[in-house]
Amino acid sequence: MERKFSELHWTGKVEVEEYLTPSSLAEALEMLNRFRGQARIIAGGTDVVPQLRKGDYSPKALVDITGLTGLSDIETEGNRITLGGLVTHAQVANSPLIQEKARLLSDGCAQVGSPQIRNVATVAGNLVSGQPAADASIPLLALDASVTIVSANGERTVPLCAFFLDVGRTVLDPAREILTRIEFSALGENQGCCYQRLAKRKALTLPMLVCAVKVAVDPLRGTFVDTALALGPVAPIPFRERRAEDFLRGKSISPKVIQDAAAEASAYCSPRDSILRGSCDYRQEMVKVYVRRGLERSLEQAGYTLD
Amino acid sequence: MGDMKLSFKVNGKGVEISPPPGSVLADVLREDLGLTGTKVGCREGECGACTVLLDGVPVNSCLLPARKVAGREVTTIEGLEKQDGTLDRLQQSFMDAGASQCGFCTPGMILTAKALLDKNPNPDEGEIRHALSGVLCRCTGYRKVMQAVLELGRRGESGS
Amino acid sequence: MAKEMDKKREVQVISRNQVDLCRLLKAEAKPLAVAGHSINRLDDMLKVTGKLKYAGDYDHQGFLHGKILRSPHPHALIRSINTDKARQLEGVVAVLTAADVPGRNLFGAAMPDQPVICGDKVRFIGDGVALVAAETEKIANQALRLIEVEYEALPAVFDPREAIREDAPKIHANGNLLSLNKVRKGDVEAGFAQADVIMERTYQVPMQDHAYIEPDVIMAIPQPNGGMLVEGPMQAPFLTRKNLAPVLGIPMNKVRVRQIHMGGGFGGKEDSPIDLGCRAAVLAQHTGRPVKMSLEREELMIQTSKRHPMIMEIKIGAKKDGTLVAFKGILWDEQGAYASLGPKVPPAGGCHVHAMMMMPGPYEIPNCYVDAYLCYTNHPYGGAMRGFGAPQVHVAHEQLMDELAAELGMDPVDIRRKNGFKLGSATATGQVLDQSVGLMDTLEACAEAFDWGGRVKQAGYIDKHKTKRRGVGVGMGWYRTSIGTGFDACGANVHVNEDGSVLLYSGITEMGQGAFTVLPQICAEELGVKLEDVRLVQPDTDLVPESGPTVGSRSTTLMGNAIIMAARQVKESLLEMASELLLVPTSRIEFVDGKVYDRDNPERKLSFREVTSKCWFTGKRMIGQGWWAPPMASMNPETGQGSPYFVYSYSTHMVQVVVDVETGEVELEDYVAVFDVGKAINPKAVEGQIEGGVAMGIGYALMEAVALSGGMIRNLSLQDYLIPTMLDVPDMKPIILPGYNELGPYGAKGVGEMCNIPAAPAILNAIANACGGRVRSLPADPEAVFLAIREAGGPPDA
Repeated sequence: MERKFSELHWTGKVEVEEYLTPSSLAEALEMLNRFRGQARIIAGGTDVVPQLRKGDYSPKALVDITGLTGLSDIETEGNRITLGGLVTHAQVANSPLIQEKARLLSDGCAQVGSPQIRNVATVAGNLVSGQPAADASIPLLALDASVTIVSANGERTVPLCAFFLDVGRTVLDPAREILTRIEFSALGENQGCCYQRLAKRKALTLPMLVCAVKVAVDPLRGTFVDTALALGPVAPIPFRERRAEDFLRGKSISPKVIQDAAAEASAYCSPRDSILRGSCDYRQEMVKVYVRRGLERSLEQAGYTLD
Repeated sequence: MGDMKLSFKVNGKGVEISPPPGSVLADVLREDLGLTGTKVGCREGECGACTVLLDGVPVNSCLLPARKVAGREVTTIEGLEKQDGTLDRLQQSFMDAGASQCGFCTPGMILTAKALLDKNPNPDEGEIRHALSGVLCRCTGYRKVMQAVLELGRRGESGS
Repeated sequence: MAKEMDKKREVQVISRNQVDLCRLLKAEAKPLAVAGHSINRLDDMLKVTGKLKYAGDYDHQGFLHGKILRSPHPHALIRSINTDKARQLEGVVAVLTAADVPGRNLFGAAMPDQPVICGDKVRFIGDGVALVAAETEKIANQALRLIEVEYEALPAVFDPREAIREDAPKIHANGNLLSLNKVRKGDVEAGFAQADVIMERTYQVPMQDHAYIEPDVIMAIPQPNGGMLVEGPMQAPFLTRKNLAPVLGIPMNKVRVRQIHMGGGFGGKEDSPIDLGCRAAVLAQHTGRPVKMSLEREELMIQTSKRHPMIMEIKIGAKKDGTLVAFKGILWDEQGAYASLGPKVPPAGGCHVHAMMMMPGPYEIPNCYVDAYLCYTNHPYGGAMRGFGAPQVHVAHEQLMDELAAELGMDPVDIRRKNGFKLGSATATGQVLDQSVGLMDTLEACAEAFDWGGRVKQAGYIDKHKTKRRGVGVGMGWYRTSIGTGFDACGANVHVNEDGSVLLYSGITEMGQGAFTVLPQICAEELGVKLEDVRLVQPDTDLVPESGPTVGSRSTTLMGNAIIMAARQVKESLLEMASELLLVPTSRIEFVDGKVYDRDNPERKLSFREVTSKCWFTGKRMIGQGWWAPPMASMNPETGQGSPYFVYSYSTHMVQVVVDVETGEVELEDYVAVFDVGKAINPKAVEGQIEGGVAMGIGYALMEAVALSGGMIRNLSLQDYLIPTMLDVPDMKPIILPGYNELGPYGAKGVGEMCNIPAAPAILNAIANACGGRVRSLPADPEAVFLAIREAGGPPDA
């Protein structure tokens, strides 16, 4: 029952040897390289600063990339939407483009922390933190987004479904790599989406459950063409309910099918029993409700009326 | 390594200091610049007492590395009062409504409300609730805070 | 014992004068010029401009930083402590262990049982085992890590019912039952025999944190005379001094305690400044240097007091028509590791005794029986928190009243109307309420303002899919004014200066409740001066008279009366002087708004300043001193019968909620709260208290709970310990009824703690009304509501 020293004794100050502010990507990568894993990228800082204070890790240097140009825009080309690595949650939440073309993402971003936090915290940071119920990560996972990661060795593109590894861990090494771009497809005709969040209070809190849904329907046949269901925290990483998605593919839309898909989704996710975020049993029950409602609302948004 | 000097504007005045590299803005304001009107309640961005405006946008100064404000403009509660001592209308409105009790959240609450009114001079209740949801108050139950902000909106007087 | 009672009677006789003062006030019944008005707070200007200095805002140049090494075990023996490495660290000035405490190595708000530095054993995770003072906070933290402590872990106990079993690990030498208190009124078994309906229920409430936004800071500054100055945010400077003197081994007159404006207290800053103050002072005395000790948010969560968790087992009997006939309760009150304010010297007072006597609720029940166990455990300790035992028991009796009403097919308002306190009612302790009993007035006014009759019929689903169901709930409550035991008196000094300005000396502290506005209002009213002519002196035990702690919703009433007495004493000489100057008898002279005039001929007038100036010149008395104690409390320790407090405030809350019956989420839609707090001295400030109290009650109902496992708090930050945000608190309507307390200044009685008490049960009752699920163990978070609906067999008419 003995508790760790660091759980009982706290300090207000963050100590690092250097705080670096590169003005180009190349310079930032050079700095990371120079510190050989002892430097850490910081953007909004809303996750990094508390983690440093807790002593989760103690880098020698912080490399602040918010001065890099060209990473702060939301852009669209054709049906592809790109978020620069420095785009904040507030930008996404207030973007008419995202609100129209990927509502689940703007809704999710609007739920992160508080307005103060959303004003500085980046969407890329939300991904890099690797939390299983991060409010931007879950919708992006449902959107089948991919991310571009740059390091001294070059650039790579990783689909989000292969990005998360474990709680707090992703394929990106924050001491060596930078997430520069997030890309996904806008919702089109006969598509709809929905973001839902269950929490004990209405702001400034971690969720008990986050559920993002995207559907594509064939209105003539009345069938599900394709569905994406992303949930958290029901596993160590943001979770795609592939079984329920497969189950729905091609099925005729009906309350019964939706109900069955929700049950399917619930059966295959395993949230932990948490003293703060609720029991496994309860959250499995809520997965049923949220998946069902998420599908219903997404259908509605897709213009499909469920009788 | 790097330039240890940090220049930025606080409440309209330029300052140049050399804080330790890991410092957050809240500590720099309070300890280096003596601007103790910015309060620190949790150091996690959860209470919002430390809210200041960075180029007019509310941010948690307890989470913001001080180096980030280089070349930018920070407004703290001390910056709302005009040089001749007249108050910002929000400050007066908070007093008249009774929106401040222990007062510890008041600077953060007023600055957050100011940012809202600057952007949206006549917000409705829902907009006010969302905009101020990042500042915790344990004393007031928020009702008089709501009244203070609503009242200004109704009068179309958005502050300074 | 008999001698003890005689002494009390004596005190009671002395306090008759004070009672007479109040009768006099009532008889005068003058229109009020300053008191009774919604005046902006006098300290607002400093707050809205950020100029008000809180303890952490002072310049701490030259101060050492004090830190506490905390126990990682909930219960363990200390085998050895080695501080050598820590001492050798550069910048470390002192590393102290138990042997270094100069005086009594114990502190405590009610009784000293908590070591300043633990010597032989630790009793909760967070107990202090060593103190460090260093030149910087960073060095102090490094030094803590270098202290080597060898523990021998002992079995720990975390449940009050298990704690008092014979085989339970003994936390303190005298065992784990700190106090067993009883109420015995009438014949409870005979009462149940008359009952048509008997119900038994168990309710449970968790530990709640004060969550004041300002973290604790204390400064201890050694004085040249060998004394100690301790400053910081605190509710009880005198109680802090009372603990500091024996710990430092010096007399009280060498300990000076100064209050610095608080960023919220809610009862929590009654205890924590004693804890931090004693520790910082020991370091300061040892090093001869000023020491600052501050707690990070997580540290104050670990270390400071909380609201007592309780388990409440209740059996109640009623007639078919709803008349209550018998009440039996067992109260399991968890104290945690140290006594703090749980027990208190008899005859009454103490959080535990207060909870016990209120357990049957504000209802007339002829036969009452309560056994209330207060038990030590290895958890963080319970202390004072807004409502002091009352919010807990209200969660029980107010829900039970609704459950009983449902069983009897009665409206929840009707059953309260039938049984609630009225003038002349006798409480569970047999106290006859002989004045200022506005409970029924609050119930009727609330029902009307809320439209209870209309809304109660409209409960039902609000969407076609039947996922959201609306309901309404009511909660009633009562709360004492005063602490009702031992020392409960207030002293005030009023000094009138030659220029007509006034200094008011009071030991009542400001924590946001508005005392620093309300008390000057009373002083200005009495002297007939403008409010801005009165300056209140910051509480400082060297300057102000003993005033007791700022707790128990006592400040306005007790201190208000003391101020009136002080002001009237000085006014005697002012009147005499005015009479000489105006050449009219004193009986005709009025003091209003800084003017002094002949009532019969208002043109004959002087300024207040002319009078004070002449007083000064002629050597007339210019200081007044007041001392007011309420009528003495009484309570038989065997039967719990007596009058523990001299007056009570009353309130009714009604709330409308919508429950998502599939997820258990609760949305508050509308809220009305009606109060009898006697005369409101500053109605706007009272409204502020009500609104903040309701928000705190909302937190208690829906989201707040200190989550413990293995003795460790799992939600140390405000991200995990949840209090309501602006999005969680609905619009509400606070209503203050015109009331009058014959023993209060201009009729005032307490308000601060009344506000949050009925909120949680009103919400829980509304949830039950909406979804059929009854949450008997708080908080009613979505999962708890979901489970309650399931337990009820699903939502109504689904």
